[in-house]
Amino acid sequence: MTAATADRAKLLAKRNRLEAWKRRLPLLPALLFTIVVTQVPFVLSLWYSFTEWRINPPSPRTFIGVDNYTGLVSNSFFRDAAFTTIFMTVASVLLSLLLGTGLALLLDRDFFGRGLARTLLITPFLIMPVVAGLVWKTQMFNSSFGVLNWILETLGFDSIEFVSRWPAGSIIVVLVWQWMPFMMLIVLAGLQGQDPSVLEAARVDGASSFSIFGQITLPQLRPYLELGTLLGTIYLIQVFDHVEVITGGGPGSTNIPYFVFQRSIGGGWRFGEASAFSIVVVVASIVIANLGLRVLSNLLEGEAP
Amino acid sequence: MADVTYDGATRIYPGTEIAAVDSLDLDIADGEFLVLVGPSGSGKSTALRMLAGLEFIDGGSVSIGGRDVTLTPPQDRDIAMVFQNYALYPNMTVAANMGFALKQRGIEKEERARRVREAAKVLDLEEYLDRKPKNLSGGQRQRVAMGRAIVREPQVFLMDEPLSNLDAKLRVQTRTELAELQARLGVTTVYVTHDQVEAMTMGHRVAVLRDGKLQQVARPRDLYSTPANRFVAGFIGSPAMNLIDVDPGNGPLQLGTAPITGAPASGTAVGTVGVRPEHLRLGSTGINGRVTVIEELGSQAFVHVAIEHEGRDEVLVVRDEGETDIQRNDNVQVGILGPCHLFGTDGERIDQ
Repeated sequence: MTAATADRAKLLAKRNRLEAWKRRLPLLPALLFTIVVTQVPFVLSLWYSFTEWRINPPSPRTFIGVDNYTGLVSNSFFRDAAFTTIFMTVASVLLSLLLGTGLALLLDRDFFGRGLARTLLITPFLIMPVVAGLVWKTQMFNSSFGVLNWILETLGFDSIEFVSRWPAGSIIVVLVWQWMPFMMLIVLAGLQGQDPSVLEAARVDGASSFSIFGQITLPQLRPYLELGTLLGTIYLIQVFDHVEVITGGGPGSTNIPYFVFQRSIGGGWRFGEASAFSIVVVVASIVIANLGLRVLSNLLEGEAP
Repeated sequence: MADVTYDGATRIYPGTEIAAVDSLDLDIADGEFLVLVGPSGSGKSTALRMLAGLEFIDGGSVSIGGRDVTLTPPQDRDIAMVFQNYALYPNMTVAANMGFALKQRGIEKEERARRVREAAKVLDLEEYLDRKPKNLSGGQRQRVAMGRAIVREPQVFLMDEPLSNLDAKLRVQTRTELAELQARLGVTTVYVTHDQVEAMTMGHRVAVLRDGKLQQVARPRDLYSTPANRFVAGFIGSPAMNLIDVDPGNGPLQLGTAPITGAPASGTAVGTVGVRPEHLRLGSTGINGRVTVIEELGSQAFVHVAIEHEGRDEVLVVRDEGETDIQRNDNVQVGILGPCHLFGTDGERIDQ
């Protein structure tokens, strides 16, 4: 009797293991691929960041410990790049959030052609970053045949070379144009998740539209606004394409990802130092991403943080 | 406090042809508890929302305290509303929820806190004032919604099925509390429900709606004893009145084999005969029938009896007092004790 139950337990355990592997096996290739293309390079970068490694002129790779990291602090170019990254990220996230919220409030109303308007408003987010950068650089900002200057000249003003006058500003405009729809969608989801009877109750309670927005809608949107901010920050902190296409790192527009590029394959050929820069960006992104995930899980639990 | 008047008030939702509320005429006296009752889609909620200002009024007018408010936005009507899902402000504490309307009116913080505390005391909510709605039970949320309304000391209370999200036991308890509270405050109240028991137990008067049209407004007892038409007769009362169609041109009025006393006052043709279960009795004389179902409720039992009427099979529900030893499939006789209601072929009541 006991021997039979033991046999039975063993058989069951074996079957469970078999079942588990049936599910794991098809996932393995994807897992291996992901490890090979993301984690292996990361570990290599981490290793490089502790070495002095120049390619031009070619010199042997030597281990120098944390010198690359201590050097960062005194490197004024890195400080400038870090400042540009912060400025560009904060400005584009806040502006896109503000404009996205405005558009979401408009789209939350019922009007003829709402579906079409929504689709058109989303399109900037669907365009590839490089294409967006090129379109804006050559067809909007350009001083000889850009649309903006055509408007200025038609109105009787002098033309402005936007990109060389405000390099960082020009990039921010394009980033805001691309990210506004994303923020709009998140906020719109928040608005449409509101209980309409709560808004009716507020109206019956004597609140004006303005105070309903301030005291009821906005507090309820808070987790959505936080989510938008954090996701936007994670993406915008590593913007490269727009910088490369629009200014090519022109004055005051080199952010850390572009700086890393310049110092390595972009002509600097100092891979050790560039790796240290990128590790800093990765760590910063992970910190922000963790905060973001915490907000996201709070949202899914249906609790405002 | 004020009286409320609907004067031919009509609401037609955009994109539809049929009026959700069709020229409703209704006078509600100061301090009255009026219940709007009807099946779903009868327009009872729409009628309430028209009074609240949440629904546009396409025709006629609505006035509160003699003031025409047809075009007045909800915030200027001085009404308080309790919603079915309570519609509490999720981001605010119970105290802030209750004080919200006072804050909008610019009432001082101390005064606000005092009035919120007072209302909280009435509703036993004092210990929950700092909680958020999500940390309250269903019954507590319902009380907060009530508190939000009474803090305002409005001219009219509007309640849109405020008890339908409570469990059965709590609903019965809250029903009496609510009726008692309304009587003490003496504020005119319009209450919407689909539950005719709620309507009968709470309302000073009950207005029955169907398909946007007012069927009858009367005191609960009158509604029960003299329903204005076939629909009201079938809707009010549980279990429902037995309504049996009769052939108008079929000689003397009969239910099965039993003659019905009381001929119509006018010469109108009778289309339906109605008789309440308590006005029927199982005995040794009457209509022959067979028991199909017995609903035993302890103090009484409702016995479903299949009878033959004008060549068709019909079922009569009979109230049987006390313990009964009747079994399914027993052959019984149903006697008519009390008054029968007669309705014309158009469904309107025929006075006897």
